[in-house]
Amino acid sequence: MGDVMGDFAPITPTNECEEHVFIAARHMLKALGTSKNVSDDLRRLLADVDTHLSRRTQITVNMIDVTREVEEQLKFAQEKIMRWESNTSTIWASGPEKASDYLQAVYDIQRLTASLRSSPSSSSGNQKELLDRAHSVLQMAMERLEAELLHILAQNQQSFEPEYVSFHSCEEDIVSNVSIVSTEDESIGNTSRRDSSGTESEDHIVDLVHPDLISYIKSIANVMFASHYDQEFCHAFTNFWKDALDGYFFALRIDKLSIEGLLKMEWNCLNGKINKWIRAVKYVIRVYLAGEKRLFDQVLGEFGSVYSTCFVEASKGPMLCLLNFGEAVAIGTRRPEKLFKLLHMYEVLADLLQDVDSLFSSEVGSFIRTEFHELIMKLGDTVRATFMDFGHAVALNPSTNPCSKGVIHPLTKYVMNYINTIVVYACTLNLLLDGVQDGAELVPFAQNISLDNFCPLAHHLRSLTSYLEHNLDDKSRLYKDSSLKHIFMMNNIHYMVQKVRDSELVTLFGGEWIREYTAKFQQHATSYERVTWSSALSLLRDDGNTSRKSILKERYRGFNIYLEEVYKIQTGWFIPDTELRKDLRISISQNVIHAYQTFIGKNSGVIGEKHINYTADELENFILDFFEGSPMRLPSTHKK
Amino acid sequence: MRATDNQGSFLNRISIRRNQVVSMDGNHEQELEDLELFQKHVADRFSDLLLPKPSSAGDSPSGADALLSIAWFRKLLDAFLCCEAEFKAVLVMGRDPAQFAKAPLDRLIPELLDRAVKALDVCNAITHGVEMLRQWKKLAQIAVTALEQRPIGEGQVRRAKKALTTLLTSMAFDEKESHHGKSTDRNCSFGRRGVAAANKDKTAGNCRLLSWNFAKSWSASKQIQAMSSNLIVPRGGEPTGLALPVYVMSTVLVFVMWALVAAIPCQERTGLPTHFPVPRQLGWAQPVIGLQEKIGEEWKKKEKKGTCGLLEEIQRMEKLSQGLVEFADGFQFPAETDDVAAMVAELAAICENMEEGLVPLQQQVREVFHRIVRSRAEVLDVLDQVGKLSTPVPY
Repeated sequence: MGDVMGDFAPITPTNECEEHVFIAARHMLKALGTSKNVSDDLRRLLADVDTHLSRRTQITVNMIDVTREVEEQLKFAQEKIMRWESNTSTIWASGPEKASDYLQAVYDIQRLTASLRSSPSSSSGNQKELLDRAHSVLQMAMERLEAELLHILAQNQQSFEPEYVSFHSCEEDIVSNVSIVSTEDESIGNTSRRDSSGTESEDHIVDLVHPDLISYIKSIANVMFASHYDQEFCHAFTNFWKDALDGYFFALRIDKLSIEGLLKMEWNCLNGKINKWIRAVKYVIRVYLAGEKRLFDQVLGEFGSVYSTCFVEASKGPMLCLLNFGEAVAIGTRRPEKLFKLLHMYEVLADLLQDVDSLFSSEVGSFIRTEFHELIMKLGDTVRATFMDFGHAVALNPSTNPCSKGVIHPLTKYVMNYINTIVVYACTLNLLLDGVQDGAELVPFAQNISLDNFCPLAHHLRSLTSYLEHNLDDKSRLYKDSSLKHIFMMNNIHYMVQKVRDSELVTLFGGEWIREYTAKFQQHATSYERVTWSSALSLLRDDGNTSRKSILKERYRGFNIYLEEVYKIQTGWFIPDTELRKDLRISISQNVIHAYQTFIGKNSGVIGEKHINYTADELENFILDFFEGSPMRLPSTHKK
Repeated sequence: MRATDNQGSFLNRISIRRNQVVSMDGNHEQELEDLELFQKHVADRFSDLLLPKPSSAGDSPSGADALLSIAWFRKLLDAFLCCEAEFKAVLVMGRDPAQFAKAPLDRLIPELLDRAVKALDVCNAITHGVEMLRQWKKLAQIAVTALEQRPIGEGQVRRAKKALTTLLTSMAFDEKESHHGKSTDRNCSFGRRGVAAANKDKTAGNCRLLSWNFAKSWSASKQIQAMSSNLIVPRGGEPTGLALPVYVMSTVLVFVMWALVAAIPCQERTGLPTHFPVPRQLGWAQPVIGLQEKIGEEWKKKEKKGTCGLLEEIQRMEKLSQGLVEFADGFQFPAETDDVAAMVAELAAICENMEEGLVPLQQQVREVFHRIVRSRAEVLDVLDQVGKLSTPVPY
């Protein structure tokens, strides 16, 4: 800065006219000093002023010599600077000594400029010319240093190749075909769950340029700031890093897409882009920008707020680009399959909230901070709306054709796998569904809402299953055979209970729910038995009318025909769960075999052995063919 | 901000009245009155924007909020936000969702939403453009700093010239890229020829102030064309009165986006329409047409002259920069600097103006962005209630 000569500049006489004033003043002082009316104190003071003034006058006299000296120095420094004008390599490449030598020459020029500017005879022709020359040389040096800066930065910019190569493959990958049904018992959460990979690289801040160079870059900054070329330095430095981040986006395969384009994109494709975006956001904010801010601080930190201003300048555009992608996803059509990705995005951003708040803590950074908060809130809203929409969609799911064989409806599988996947995001959803929207209360991983069957999510999930149950009930009405209706309901509700019991959902749904729904499917089992077998069993029952042979025979024949019919139909039905299938068969056996045995034991004499079609054991075997999903015929040739 | 103040009170008023309307069940008079009021307000706001007529001198500032100045655009965006709030009140509040499913709204609403999405991208392109204006301002500021020093010497002149050449290259680059869609050719010269230029061309990266924020195929002028292509004046006998406000608001939206694109550096502006048809017989349309004609006229001139956007400050900045570069080219030490002082003072004033205005303008563009997003969501909610968009479970 110009403080080398600045200390005494204000009282230095600057032209000849003033010089006369000085001489006159000294005469007056002398005259006053001899006056008898002056006290000793004042006399001493006058003497002081006199010596002070005399010293100044001497300096003026010496100025011509000084100018000559300045000219010499200027020439010396100029030569040093000019030497590099024809050299195409960087100064730094010739070694640190050369570099500091160059910088010293610039400092010299800058000091000379300041001294010439404030020198008493700066208006003289010779001085003016010298000053002009000094300015020209300084400008030359500044241009050189700016070029040097950019060259050095470009040459020594650290690349992060290894960090992102690994996720080139993750674009159109894993979760892209979220068919929850096809991977029936494997929750999609396994794939869409927050990927733990990559975290190891996110915890440390990277160096954007080689650390050895930082002090050199800083010294360029210092000399340019000292020469009042701070604007040029900041402009070049900031733009370099803005471009660098742009290039980094390219490396991260972040395409710059319009919102319109993103909204029209197929979900599979968009999903792949979201995956890349998630990686990029995490990496850019936590690693890259953290490193960039540190670099800006190292280089510009001592110049006050300018460092954060420059940092915001350099990162604002790219940050907005990232945020706009999020905006586009947040305002896209709400579809249930998007929920997990939305939740993932929400969690990632919420997790980065503190980083962003500290990166952009300055006043100028508030724009980005606000935008970031807003995006999180918007994503939260979209998550909430998507979740609620899902409930409605389940409730209103149209029932058109009955599920063949009474098996588990795709809707049931979808819903149960869906909520199973949701559990991964339980904490976040709890927060969002509790209506906590205020940015200040965004503490997604604080787990301040305990996960039990009283939490908001549990409440919503139970509603969801009750919507499902109602919808299934509607669907069951499509069956003409009311036995099959019960099998269908039993299968589906059993599936729901099983899904809850065998997963983390159990804490959310609670024992009460499990008991309630277990009772429900058992009730359907009982109803099935009643509907299918009660009429058949009544044929075998001893109700006092069994004394007449013909009636007995008729009843037995009726039972056989019925059994044949039921066998033909119900072997085609299917209970996918082996345990449940077994239980139901046992229950049927217990009732039917027992009644059959009793009937045969009592009446075989009357009906005649040869008319008995099968033994109780054989009947038991027949029942074992039930609910296997492939219709069979009763071996009618057997014991005709 | 003024706009938001008005808006709050206005919305309250409307909502209270709406509720009354609903309770009175089918009071169309009230609705017509609302419509009338909406159109009147649009007319008033745009008349206000047309009012501060620029002087015929053209290039001299004719007041703080001269047409196409930063201040004027801030007023324009304010007006947009007010109109938008009012429109939403007319369209959505207390509205029977079933109306959205009937003609002509079943066609007009999706078109409106489509225009909204396109406007979002335009807003983003403009935000980016304003960012570039801020870069230009910084370069101009360097020239001001250099040329404000006394005496002006070779060094200062070179410093100023370097900054201004970069500035003008960037401005021309914008044009060039706009016209030819070439962005690969980023070679810039800095007017340093002869001064040991060999090792200094490395600063070439410096003129890359411009990297657009969308894929290369994205074009601002195409967006505007697409937004205006299906703007059709509703015929008299439309079954619901809502067709008209939808048309009014769409026209306002297209106008605002069009003006922004014309004024602020923006990705690919070739073929930007100079006007789109607005029927003169509608009262509110008069001031809009007036503004459109003036801006369209400017745009035609621009296409001939080849400047980098109609923003008043930028046009002046470009002219002054050219003048100062000319001065620099003919500079010999010591020089007469009186003319320069006037130019520098004007450039300094523009820089100050931009320093104060650009950040708020950028924020306002973002506010418009968010507002459009919110309104779109609200309209979608209404549509949702109609059940048109209910999402199936994708099993």
